Amino acid sequence: MSAAVEARGIAKRYGTQVALEDLTFTVAAGEIVGVLGPNGAGKTTAIRILTTILRPDRGSFSVAGIPSTEPARIRARVGVLPESAGYPERQRGEEYLRFHARLFGHSSASARAVARALLEEVGLAERGRSLIETYSRGMRQRLGIARALVNDPAVVFLDEPTLGLDPAGQREILARVRALARERGASVLLSTHLLDEVEENCSRVLILNRAHVVAEGTVAEIVRRAAAARRGRIRVPPEDVERSLQTLSGSGAVQEVVAADGAAGWLTVQLAAPASGSADASLNAVVGVLVDAGVPLLACELEGARLSDAFLAVTGGA
Amino acid sequence: MSVHAGARERGGQPGWVVVLEQELRELWVAGRGLVLCFALSILLSALAYLAATNQALNFLEQRESVNLVVQVGMIVGALLALLAAADAISGERERGTLESLLVAPVSRRQLAGAKLLAALSLWLAAYVILVPYAWFLARDLGIVGTALVASFVVGTLLACFLASFGLLVSLFASSNRVSLSVSLFALLALFAPTQLPGGARQGWFADLLLHVNPVTSGERFVNRVIISGSGWGQEFGWLVSPLVAAALFGAGAVVLASRLRLGGGGAG
Repeated sequence: MSAAVEARGIAKRYGTQVALEDLTFTVAAGEIVGVLGPNGAGKTTAIRILTTILRPDRGSFSVAGIPSTEPARIRARVGVLPESAGYPERQRGEEYLRFHARLFGHSSASARAVARALLEEVGLAERGRSLIETYSRGMRQRLGIARALVNDPAVVFLDEPTLGLDPAGQREILARVRALARERGASVLLSTHLLDEVEENCSRVLILNRAHVVAEGTVAEIVRRAAAARRGRIRVPPEDVERSLQTLSGSGAVQEVVAADGAAGWLTVQLAAPASGSADASLNAVVGVLVDAGVPLLACELEGARLSDAFLAVTGGA
Repeated sequence: MSVHAGARERGGQPGWVVVLEQELRELWVAGRGLVLCFALSILLSALAYLAATNQALNFLEQRESVNLVVQVGMIVGALLALLAAADAISGERERGTLESLLVAPVSRRQLAGAKLLAALSLWLAAYVILVPYAWFLARDLGIVGTALVASFVVGTLLACFLASFGLLVSLFASSNRVSLSVSLFALLALFAPTQLPGGARQGWFADLLLHVNPVTSGERFVNRVIISGSGWGQEFGWLVSPLVAAALFGAGAVVLASRLRLGGGGAG
């Protein structure tokens, strides 16, 4: 499958401040890739470079098979929802989309058709003739997504599309992002802070921290790599806590075990990094040690099995 | 087939035409341009009335009345073009709408050029409003044509110069307030010498400054053609500065527009 986006060693500085260093990754056609990172990690700079708004100091890239030396052709094939995008308050939704469709080469008649189809697609058909100043934040974001689609793009860049939305609004926008990839076959680069949503929606993830790529791969791969040594919580009867602590302290599957403060019967276990296999295997070993010692287990859970934990691990808790 | 398919084959207009149309619609249909023109017509009505009254009282020569109204129409028209151009890019930047324009396949020069032309439409509208007032005051003197042509030529040159200057500032200003303040200050600085008493404008150095400053030079040209009845060839020296300024700043705005940055200044 050909790459929809291919970045090779992209670097960018603002004065002495390094914004991006050696950004290298690929996005396959039809793939949704989550771009994660703390504030100031370089996510927006990366998107602005790939959409030709900014020029990189070093490196090269191609989008939809078009090299970075042809920015106008790239812009014709991408759709962008910028971070904190503004909207002309005194324009109507349909007029706004018509204008942008014409900027991408549509005639007046086809721009009108595109605007109406997109308003329908993002659920704003009934508000197309309303002034944008009357739109809610969620409606504006939907309008922004519609604007990003006026040229039927091969690659869509969405920079914090759910910023400032309530949970229902966030879910709605992410559902549209999924539909975008599924129905249009477009590749999507989604920059967001909503890690749980990325986990559900993105086939791959790119994590940036302090201008560098610190993790890349599927969610499962990143979780496995980043969270090799993790913690687990085990609940035993309160009268068995002391015995459990002694038993586990002598076990090779455990680095450290302590009784959890204020929670009777709960033990917090720092699992030893497994020589092979996953953290689940380490927890199984711990459970096995307790069962062999005749300690009844009331509950058992593995912490740090989610993308959010991996994110904190690879970004140093940023 | 999606509704988008084949859009490029359907023959849309060039990007600068689309931007220009949208800018003109926003300026004239949304009402800002019409309100400004209405204000200008009230100003010119009051001036024409006062000038006509002063003629009756012999406080103001009839040619001076024509000159006064024409000069005010010219400078206000150029001011409107300057303000619109000064808001053109920095305003988009401040409203967060610039990035959406920059990701469209329209060159930054086309974008800036279209916005410059839209700003100049304010000068053209101001000139259209000026015509009946100039005709009314100049009709008995037989200088209607001279006044209208001189004010059109000089006003157009000044509007081109000032609007290009405003656009240049707007291209690189980090905020709209900075852009508008710098543009307005520059206009006031250029305009101030026209209000100095005659004695302060004599001597070779003052003469050089008057010639170099496009605003004072243009004002002097119109003044001599209308009040003194001088010929265009005789006074052409006064047209050089507005001509050069309009050409230099116009070309500069279009050339430097390719360096338009999202954040203004040197950012990005």
